[in-house]
Amino acid sequence: MELRKLLKMNKLLLGFTFGVLFAFNSFSTTVNQSLYIVADSLLTVDSTKVPYITFNETLTYNQSNPIINLVQGDTLDLWIYNTDSLMHDFVIKGISSVISIPANDSAFLQTVFTAKGSYIYHDPSDFPKNTYLGLAGMIVVKNHPFSCFYWNIKEHNSDWNNELFNGNPVNWNQYDPKYFTINSVSNPNINGDTLARITGQVGENLFLYITNTGLSIHSMHFHGYHATIKYSSRNASHLNREKDTFPIYPMETIVLKITPDKEGEYPIHDHNLAAVTGNNMYPNGMFSTILITP
Amino acid sequence: MMKKIILIFGMITIAFVSMAQQMTNTFIFSKMDIAPQHTLWDGNNTMLMGFTPLMGSPIDIPGPTLRYTEGDSVELQLRNMSQGASHTIHLHGLDVDQWNDGVPHLSWEVGHNETKSYYFKAPHPGTYLYHCHFTSSLHVQAGMYGLLIVDAQNPSETWDGGYAFHKEYAWMTSELDTVWHTDSIINAVHDTTTHLRLLPDYNPQYFLVNGRSEHQLLDTNVAAITAKANETILLRLANIGYYGNKFHFPMHLNARIISSDGRPLPSIEISDTLEVLPGERYQVLLQSTIEILDSISVDYFNLNTQDIENTQMVPINISGFISSVEELNGESYIYPNPTNGKLNLVNVKGEINIYDSFGKLIFERTLNTNEENIDVSHLSTGVYFIKTTNKNFKFSKL
Repeated sequence: MELRKLLKMNKLLLGFTFGVLFAFNSFSTTVNQSLYIVADSLLTVDSTKVPYITFNETLTYNQSNPIINLVQGDTLDLWIYNTDSLMHDFVIKGISSVISIPANDSAFLQTVFTAKGSYIYHDPSDFPKNTYLGLAGMIVVKNHPFSCFYWNIKEHNSDWNNELFNGNPVNWNQYDPKYFTINSVSNPNINGDTLARITGQVGENLFLYITNTGLSIHSMHFHGYHATIKYSSRNASHLNREKDTFPIYPMETIVLKITPDKEGEYPIHDHNLAAVTGNNMYPNGMFSTILITP
Repeated sequence: MMKKIILIFGMITIAFVSMAQQMTNTFIFSKMDIAPQHTLWDGNNTMLMGFTPLMGSPIDIPGPTLRYTEGDSVELQLRNMSQGASHTIHLHGLDVDQWNDGVPHLSWEVGHNETKSYYFKAPHPGTYLYHCHFTSSLHVQAGMYGLLIVDAQNPSETWDGGYAFHKEYAWMTSELDTVWHTDSIINAVHDTTTHLRLLPDYNPQYFLVNGRSEHQLLDTNVAAITAKANETILLRLANIGYYGNKFHFPMHLNARIISSDGRPLPSIEISDTLEVLPGERYQVLLQSTIEILDSISVDYFNLNTQDIENTQMVPINISGFISSVEELNGESYIYPNPTNGKLNLVNVKGEINIYDSFGKLIFERTLNTNEENIDVSHLSTGVYFIKTTNKNFKFSKL
């Protein structure tokens, strides 16, 4: 009887500790973030360099746009610096209104994020041109303590990037991408990105935040595990569906929860198998693996 | 004495369950056509690489349907009689362990003239697929795919406590680009020194349901649906192509989307359209209360341009009416749920009582026909419970 009481007290204490920790974690704060628009190039899987432009946390160019992590209720104080010679716009899709940033100028945006989920920030000017050329990243809003991974998925046609950077038009209705990336890299380099490569332990709750900032629809398939949809910007009614294959439409976002029931290394890849290639070379496309230890 | 009876009863139950959950052995072959033999709708023939149930069987697409019962332990043997390339079987959606997942660089492959076995359990009733994962972009397009179905212990139900159905159809959609099926691509010398493979652009000319298209779909052995009014049809859909599909169901079929990827949906979706993207599977219940002669159309849309490049029409003929004996097997259900107006009750006969969330009886009525509706617009927003003579329901009033 005494042992039972002790166990019950232990449980209560654990619950109280978790509650305090969670409440502490839930305190909303103001997050300061800077984004610098810098033009350079995308280094593809076959070492082709493609003209590209991204948002960066400093003036140093990175071909992958930053992931801005927030806790539900946080205020984001965002400065955007346009180092390009052209005017750019900025918007957080579905959250903020569009602001324009003249060349070599800056703008400030303050936003309170009350709803958890995954959001896209991007340059909507001359849409989809500037978004397609690389100016699109992810904002994640969460309220849990679990491990998180982030995929900004996208495709590229190197000829189109060259044409667009040279000021020439392209026919958006005949889009035919050649490179398929997660956080701006392709297989086999995706597993080298600790933000993208899903790792964890059996029984652990793992969250994958996905944005599709490309122009194509992607259909991501999980080997080994089903995952649960915890957020979908396109289909709110799909919440809590348990699936192994997840369509993600252009400029849409999805949040998945995976609780692995066994150890192992399993692929996660686009099941449009034409997107598992890079410049027609298999398997240099959207292919990664999840690694689960006991 | 009572304990003994319970023990004996328990042992009998375990014995029955064990009998139902069998060790099942399946043997299939992987092969390569030596000449074009698969006839397309326009009379052209194309070469395939694929799976066959017997060594002498011609390759067809999809390959043989693998069918198991929930809980079965399965040994699936693959004999590779192909002309050089290794092959695997990936059990798409079954969540098997890494060793049996059929991904070459993470487990193993089956070389030419080799026979190897995959071992797995089939835990969730539903619609799955299998395909080769060796140079998968090429081998899947070449034809190395098929359906895998896991039946519930009661094969006339979708899953334990799920929906009853009278008959079922399975449609596997894909496309075919004949350039990929030319000898230089499909039958290129297998280079064992690299896993890299240069592939052509993908521009399919043929859009398939169960490997066929256009007039070939009129054949009831291919895809065409025939049923009686009030029969419940389970339609299994699986997309193994590289295009998206959009299915359009005639209004009178009262399409209800009940599950996806081998799992029941948290709430069923009533819709006359359904998108199924590469790798996805859905299960849809169809039931017409009247006789109809119509077709279900399938759009094939390019995932890059989102343009619909082709539409296939699969005929559906609802003719005659189900007999009263058959009707007894019809499942009962309610729709729409949630509702803000009328609530339809199908195959619910006799006295019904509706209770609010506090257990207070707020409505009672006797139903006499197969489908009746009741007006719940006057109810307050909340959850309500319907008690009938044989089944209980829960619905939400918006």
